[in-house]
This record gives sequence, C-alpha cells and structure tokens, in this order.
Amino acid sequence: MNENDEIKRLLSTIAFQNDQAAYKELFILLHKRLKQFGYAILKSNEEAEELVSDIFIKIWEKKEKLVSIESPLLYFYTTAKNLAFNRLQKQKRLKSLNPEEWLMQVNSIPLNPEELMMTAEMLNKIKRAVNELPPRCKLIFKLVKEDGLKYREVAELLQLSVKTVEAQMAIALRRLGRCMHIELKTAANLGFSLKK
Amino acid sequence: MGYQENFWVLFSKKLSNEATTDELKELENLIKDNSEWQYAIQNLEDLWKHQPAKDYSHEDDAYMLHIHRMKELGVPFGEMPDNQMPVKSKKKRMLWYSVAAAAMVIAGFFLFGSFSGKNKSNKNQIVREVNEISTRPGSKSRVELPDGSIVWLNAGSKLTYNKDFGKEKREVTLVGEGFFDVTKNKEKPFIISTASINIKVLGTVFNVKAYSEDKQTETSLLHGSIEVTIKSRPNDKIILSPSEKLIVENQITSVVTTGFKRTKENITRTAIPDISTLVSINKLTYNPNDSTVAEAQWINNKLIFRDETFSDLAVQMERWYNVNIEIKNEKVAQQRLNGTLETETITQALDALQETTPFRYEKTGNKVVIH
Repeated sequence: MNENDEIKRLLSTIAFQNDQAAYKELFILLHKRLKQFGYAILKSNEEAEELVSDIFIKIWEKKEKLVSIESPLLYFYTTAKNLAFNRLQKQKRLKSLNPEEWLMQVNSIPLNPEELMMTAEMLNKIKRAVNELPPRCKLIFKLVKEDGLKYREVAELLQLSVKTVEAQMAIALRRLGRCMHIELKTAANLGFSLKK
Repeated sequence: MGYQENFWVLFSKKLSNEATTDELKELENLIKDNSEWQYAIQNLEDLWKHQPAKDYSHEDDAYMLHIHRMKELGVPFGEMPDNQMPVKSKKKRMLWYSVAAAAMVIAGFFLFGSFSGKNKSNKNQIVREVNEISTRPGSKSRVELPDGSIVWLNAGSKLTYNKDFGKEKREVTLVGEGFFDVTKNKEKPFIISTASINIKVLGTVFNVKAYSEDKQTETSLLHGSIEVTIKSRPNDKIILSPSEKLIVENQITSVVTTGFKRTKENITRTAIPDISTLVSINKLTYNPNDSTVAEAQWINNKLIFRDETFSDLAVQMERWYNVNIEIKNEKVAQQRLNGTLETETITQALDALQETTPFRYEKTGNKVVIH
C-alpha cells in the first residue's frame, strides 16, 4: 500500500472511531522522520520532540477535519514547518527560516557493507559524499529517499519549482555515482565526458 | 540539457518513482548505449532500495511522553488503558491540593477561570456540591470550566454546575446570557439547561440568552452544530446550523399586552400548554463592515442593537448599566432602533438616542424614567 493511502486510512479511523490505537500507529509511523525534520530546522532535540507532540495534539483536536486531506504526508511536513517557524519567530532566530540553514541527517546508508555488494571503502566514500552534499540538496534527497515525499510535495513544502527538485536529486545521485566510478577504473577514466 | 545531466535526472526520477513511461524508455536507451555504467547503476539501485531494519522502541517511548504531555497541557484525550497511564507527578498533585484548598476558601475564585478539577482522584466519593458563578448587573466575567470550555457571562447572569462536572457528564445551568466556547469531547456531550430549553453540544461556539425577565430565549450558533430541546416539547429536537439563531418564546403572558411597561413585577409565569411555545429560526445579524456577529459582541464590551424596539433595548440597557428604566410613552417604547454602545455612559447613550428618537428623560440615581 502506498504510504499516503496508509496514512489516510489511519486518519479516517481516528476521525470516525476516535481510535487511539490508530492514533498511536500513526505517531509511531511518522515520529522519527518528523522529529528529524524538526531538528533540521530547530537544531534542538528537545524542541524537535515537542514539535512532533504539538503536531499530534493538533491532529487529535482537529481529527474530524483531516479526512479530506489529499496529501497527508505533505500536510504533516507543512504543519511541522509552520509550527517550527512559529517557534523560531518567537525566539527571534530568523536566520534559521532559510532552508539553506537547515541541517538534515540522512539515515539509510547501511552500516554493514555485506548487506550490499560493496566494499567497506566504497560505502565510506558514499557516506562521506552524502554528508558533504550541500544542505538544500541533502534535505531534498532525504525527504524523497527516506521520508517518501513526492517531488511536487517537496517543491511545495520548500517553495521551489519541481524542476529545481529534479535538478537537486540529479546532483545528489550523480555525486553518489562518482563514488562507484573509482572502483570501475575504465568507466571512471573514460568518464561521461567522452560521450558525445 | 547535457547528456549526462539528463541521465542523472532520469535515473533519479526512476528511483523515486517519478518517471513517466516515456522517460523510462529514454533512460533504458541511454543505459543500453553505455553498458559500462551498469555497475554504478546497479549499486545505486541497491543502495536506494535498502532500508535498514526498523527499530520502533524509541517511538514507543516518545509516544508515552507525548500522551503524558497532552494530559499535562489539558488536551482531552479520553481514557487510556491502565498500563499506559502515566504516573502523576508529585508536583502536580500538590498543585491540585492547593487549588482545591483555595477553591474552598475563596468563593469567587472561579471568576478568574483558573480552576482545573480534571484530575480528581476521589473516585468512590460521590460529590454533589454545586459551583455557582454569578455576575451583577453592569459587570461581566469569563469562566473556564474544568474541561477547558470557556464561558463569558454577561451582566446579571448565573452559571451553575456540579463539582463533579466532566467526570461522567458535562452539565451546566444558565440563567441570563452566556457565550460558550465548548471543548470537543464526543463521549461527554455538554448540556446547558435554561428555564425553557436544553442545549446539547459536542464542541462548538455559541451564545445563549436566557434572562428570566426576557420574553424570549435566544440561541445563536457561530460554529459547529447544536441540538436544542424545548422543555415544554421534549420530543422535538431542533438542530441548529452555523449562523442560525433560535428564538423560543418564553411562557410569559403579560408581556405582549403591556409592551412598553415591562418591569419584573408585571411578568407572570404560567404553565401554558405546549402549543403556546413559539419557536422561530432566524439568521444571525452580521456587521457588514467586519463580519462580526452582533449577538456575540457583548463579550467585546459592545452592546449592539439592530432593529429592536426601545422597550427591548431598555431591558438590555438595564443590565448593561445596572439601572432601572421605565418607559411611560408607548409610542417611544415601540420605536425601532439601531446602534452600538461601547464606552458611552448611560447619560451619553440616552443623549445619543434622543437624536433619532424624540423623547425626554429624568434620571435620579439608578432610575431612569422616559416620557
């Protein structure tokens, strides 16, 4: 099942049956990534935790209205962004409103190289490459790859064009690809520049 | 777009499930022409698909903290299974004791709206004590009920509820005028009893005007929906939609005939058969300038009247200014008026009314006589 459909199903169970089990399931499904997103903006674990809690208080209080949401995942991220902005504004940390200042962590590079057919050296290179992505590029990469947002959702959330999201994703993948070319000397030496 | 830029755009779109059929075909052709890319492509696809094993133990803890925090913030969440009940902190219990003690000592404590009785722990003891909040003519107050609902009480009004309000039921009685902002709780509907009607709500914002000396009881709904039962017709339920106002004629007989001379002594209450209860549903009166609702403006210290007779306005002014007004001229009593009173004194208000309606008045102390 598509994750947005799953979230929609949970939201309507919560709205119509007042179902606390579905509420908990939804919290557990989204907590980690929303907290990471909140942390990227707020740069405080404690505040990011409160932010997620605030989002879910809103969800419980407004549950009747949430059945008609078309992109629930985007709704959660937009709410997280808005609530985080409110906090920043109260604290007068206006510099952090700029996505260039957000520090997003990427999780899903596996620790164990044997899980993938790669050498440890190559995996380390990939991890480094991911960490060294420009902030906005890393943020977009994480939102698409790990958090499951569509390009148009990321574009809306960060107020960019879909073309920009496409381009940033291409940059991220290309940098990762470079790590592999070193392993494959011929391809690396020839590079792509020789083509056409 | 360059050849390789195009490849990376298409390839990342494929991984993200964003690529169209045409784009997938284009990508396939690119890869076919460049078989040496295969190794990197394969690795990146593996890496993309790889999801580290999910560990939700932190999420479970985080959920517990969240539920605890919700309780502390007073967000109604319903009952939780016992094993999930967060441990009540000592600090909080202390707070409750001191609040309870203070409540016993200071009768008027509730007027400040800070009492919170939702964590009562004496489960077995049935308490039927009654809290009563009343406002004198000329004054208003804001009350916060234990469930977080807010009631603004207009002048000369009284709100009562049992000490165990919110435990099983949320019931209040109202004499006078109250503006209600009721916290949502589907399991425990909020019920307001007045002399002539009962109102049942799940969570919404509305105004109830049920002064015993008025000839009508008015219920104005701003948001949500409410169900009204007229006490003399218990089987008829009236559902109000937002922006509607329900007017129920109170069972007062002498009002219509005496019209201009409506002091309390003239009103007689009689048990009249069901048929005599007149009901009408009207639209709320919106102020065209800022779309505020006239019926609820008293909470902003505004007395707004639209197309009301002087005699009806006089009753409101009596409460507003804590005066006694007697209109001795029937033509003046039936005069229809529009206006807003805000910071004006009673004398300023009467002077302003004189500009549109010719009348004379005498004011001695708290008594105004209009000729």
